[in-house]
Formats: sequence, C-alpha cells, structure tokens
Amino acid sequence: MLQVIVTGVLLGGLYAIIGVGMSLVFGIMRLTNLAHGDLMILGTYITMILMKGMGIPIWASAILSIVAMLVVGFVIQNFLVNRVLDKGDEPALLVTFGVSIFLSNLLLKIFGADNQSIVNPLAKMNVLSTEALSISAMYLFSFVVGVIVIVGLHYVLEKTNFGRSIRATSNDTMAAELMGVNTRRAYVYAMVIALGIAALAGTLIGSTFVFYPSSGTQYLIIAFGVVVIGGMGSVIGTLAGGIVLGVSQLLGGYIFGSGVQMLIAYLVLLIILALRPNGLFASATRK
Amino acid sequence: MLKQQMIKYIVITAIIVIALIAVPFVGSESLMATMTLILIYMAMGQMWNLMGGYAGLLSLGMQSFIGIGGYSLAVFSVSYGMNVYLAILVGAVISVVFALVISPALFKMSGVYFAIGSWVVAEALIIAFSNWSFVKYAKGIGINSVYRISPTQIYFTALILGLGAVLVVFIMMRTKIGLALMGMRDNISAAETMGVEIFRTKLKCYLIASFITGLAGGVMYMMQGYIMPSSGFSISWTVAMTFMVIIGGIGTMEGPIIGAILYVLLTQYLYNFPGMSMIILGLVAVVVILIAPRGIMGTLREKTGLEILSPRRAYK
Repeated sequence: MLQVIVTGVLLGGLYAIIGVGMSLVFGIMRLTNLAHGDLMILGTYITMILMKGMGIPIWASAILSIVAMLVVGFVIQNFLVNRVLDKGDEPALLVTFGVSIFLSNLLLKIFGADNQSIVNPLAKMNVLSTEALSISAMYLFSFVVGVIVIVGLHYVLEKTNFGRSIRATSNDTMAAELMGVNTRRAYVYAMVIALGIAALAGTLIGSTFVFYPSSGTQYLIIAFGVVVIGGMGSVIGTLAGGIVLGVSQLLGGYIFGSGVQMLIAYLVLLIILALRPNGLFASATRK
Repeated sequence: MLKQQMIKYIVITAIIVIALIAVPFVGSESLMATMTLILIYMAMGQMWNLMGGYAGLLSLGMQSFIGIGGYSLAVFSVSYGMNVYLAILVGAVISVVFALVISPALFKMSGVYFAIGSWVVAEALIIAFSNWSFVKYAKGIGINSVYRISPTQIYFTALILGLGAVLVVFIMMRTKIGLALMGMRDNISAAETMGVEIFRTKLKCYLIASFITGLAGGVMYMMQGYIMPSSGFSISWTVAMTFMVIIGGIGTMEGPIIGAILYVLLTQYLYNFPGMSMIILGLVAVVVILIAPRGIMGTLREKTGLEILSPRRAYK
C-alpha cells in the first residue's frame, strides 16, 4: 500500500510534466491542443532515432529533441493555429485534431506499429530497495525533473516581464494589446515553451515505458486529466493533478488488478469532471 | 415555397431514391459496396453534424455508440441466436439508454470538456470491454450470423439507414426543435432569451444521435463481420465523422452527404498507398479549415446562395 502510494506520487510528477504544456496553451489562448499527446510522442521518437541511429548520448539527444520541438511549436502556432484562432473555438480545436491524426499516422508509416523504448542507465536502478518499499531511480528522476520544470515555469510566469506579458494576454487579450503586448507573439512563445517541455516529457516517458505511434491518445487523455483536475491554466495545479491521477491509477490497479488500472483513472477523471466541471483547483475568477 | 418548385423537388428526390434502389440491379458489385459504405457513413456524419453543427455539442466520443451497436449485433445474434435486424435495433436502444445514463455527467461539461469527456468514456469502454469475459475480452467476436447475408440485402439495410438519417434531420429541422437548434447554432444566448430550453434540446439531439449512430454501428459491423474493442470503440470513427462534416460543411444538411461521398471515395483511392490514407485525411482536414472553414456547402452558400435541402420557409 505504501509502495503503491509512493510510486503513484512519483508517477504523478511525470504526469504533471506531460500536462503542464497543455495547461499553458489552454491558459493563454483557451485552446485545447488535441495534438499534445502526439507531439509529445514525436519528441520521444526524435530522441530515440538520435540515440539509436546516430549514437548520440541520451542527454544530448534530449536537448536536440527539445530544440526540434521548439521549431515545430513555432511552425504550428505561426502557420496553423494563429490563423484560425479568431474564427471561434471549433476551427482551432479541429485544426489540432487534424494535426493529431496526421502525426500519429505519419509515425506509424515511418516506424511501424512496433513497441519502442529508450535505453537508459536509470531504468533498472533502484534508489531505495527494502522489503516494504523500493523506489525506481527513473521514477524519482522524472518526478524531480517534473517538479523543477513546473516550479521554474511558475517562477518565469510570475516574476519576469515575459511571464507578465503572457499572463496579461491570458487574463484579457484586448487590454494586453492596448498595453503594447504583441499577443500573437505571446501565443507563439507559449506554444514553443509548451512543446519544448513536451519533448522533455516525451523523453522521460520513452525512458520509463514502452511506446508506439498511437501512444499519443493515451497521453493526451492523461494530460487532459492532469489539467482538468489541476484547473485549466494553473501551472502549479498540474502537479496536484498529476499526483491525484497517478495515485488513483495505481491504487485502482492495486485493488482491482492491473488490467483495469487506466479504467479507474479514467473514471476518477470523469467523476471529477462531472462534479467540478472547471477543475478541482480552478480559481473562482476563471470561467 | 412555390408549388412548381415543390413539384420539382419531389421529382428530383424521387429520381434519386429510384436510382439508389436500382443500384444493386444495374450497378457492379464494387459500386454497390462503395454505395453501402457511403450510406452508412452518411448516417454517422448526419448525426455528428446534428450535434456538432447545430446543438453545439462537439463530440469526440460518438464511437461509443458505434461500438455498442456492433457489439450488440455480435453478442445477441451470435451467442443468443437473435435475428440480426432485431439485434441491431436492440443495440440502438442500448445506445440510447447508455447515452441517457452518462448524460447527467457529460452535460455538466461544456465545450471542450464535453468533447474530451465523451472521448474518455469511449476509451474507458475499450478497457472495460477488453477485460470483460462476456464479450470475449480483447480478442473480439467473429459475427458469423451475418456471413450468409447477401451484399444486396446489406445494401438495402444501409439505404434505409442512410435515407432514414437524412429524413430524420430533414423533418427535425422543420419542427420546433429544428428552429430551436438553428437558433442555438447562430446565437445561443439569443436563443435562450427567446425561450429555447437549451438543456432539453441538447439532450434530445444527443439521444437521437446516439440511437442512429448505434444503428449505424450495427449495420457497419454487419458488413465487417468481426469486432474487437480497439476497433469498435476506435477514435477513427469520430475522425471519419469529423472529416466528413468539416469537408462537406458544418451546420448544413447537405454537408455530411457530400462529405460522406468524398470520404469514402478518397479512402478507397488511398487504399493503393498503404498507411497514407489517414495522413492525407489529416492534412486535407487542416487545409480545409484554414482556407474554407465552412466546408464545401458553407462556402458555396456564402458565394452563390445555393441551398438544396434548405430548412428555410419561403417568404413568397
């Protein structure tokens, strides 16, 4: 039981980093990026081919993958999403849906449906290994990275001018524009940051679990769950959201068997959605 | 509407219906198979459009009802020896009941929450069915009860389904609920101020859509003959519906018809390039939203004022 909860919390840190990019994008432009999961898996595949194909060490591959996804984020926001944002919610949502279908099938075409994994030194190591409790080094590492990224992002958003321009755009687009903020550019920054973090999350996911081209769907739902539970647009909330989801998934698996553990996580998500349609930690001012 | 015009419409409709009935007798087998698919997809597209285009319920979870329809056909006709058509009908009824059960929770969510909430329901069904011995877990069920049904018979079933779906929407748009829906589509707050009961109208739409989508699932699996959780509840059904409606024109009645024809022809053509079809569909959908967000019919209507199945009453 203690084991399940500790692992669940650590898994929650990993889930939080999956969700935080989606939360950022939603917070600023009210867009649910349905391609978020597939873009993250794209980052995973980029890391994998750099390592397997070119023999680049994992940390360098991860950095290159992040750089590549920053470019992808710029392209997607500048050439696709920015062009439909003022046409209402649905066109933007459907554009990301189209991107999602395109990406997952492109990966399927290139890599085939086989399971893949990223080999890394932490995967088989345990930090702590007693009878009552063992902690996997990879889970702990992911958790620490997740916390650092989220706290770092929170700090940037709260304390820097750049963060203020993003928050201003998020609160009131028109007022921000009148105060001299280039909101279109703020959108691009938000998407670029979101996808950079997604590439990092993708590398962590690929090092922890096996993945395949259609994994994006599963992680999109996890990201969505994290964001919903944490409150759409709240960066710190994603950490809480990730932990709730991670613990409920593993507790569900512990009680009802591992085959249905994701089912339990989905049910928890649906129940929270039905009871608190705006998220568990949503601030009162947000609609 | 002018009397002459009305007669013209009735004649054109009659010609189309007769042509559709004649397909199995004069057309080739491959034409009939293509037409069967178009008719089934048309029914799905109409229902997705009814929800997404009119009621403002952008759903990414309509595959729940395709799967329930297909599984009801499989379970009741194979394991219990029920008549195939009755099994499909039972599937549609179960779809409505399921929709009714999840609606209190789903309808608390709005906009994108509803879209993803309904998707999560479908994903949960995949896992639930994969762990349920009654439906033979993830390995699926071969629907051997439909193997002896001739393609012609399946074609006529699809014809009734497709025309029925169009007719339901056609009639709905001419009743009070249609007016309410169009009001909601154009301006939801104005509609509410004028006394439209938003919640009840949405719920009615959702139930009708779940019934006909459930039927469509049954007919689809009558053609396919094998169902698994990962295929029956696959997001690709919703991808198809979304694609058809966007290409054809969201919020128009003709849109899903044109969309279904294009979708089926395009996917059949792309069979020659394995693995490419979904990549190209995704690309086409993105390009269409960028350059013509109203789809083919919406753009035509804007430019030329053309309306074929117009629900508008004439003022003349």
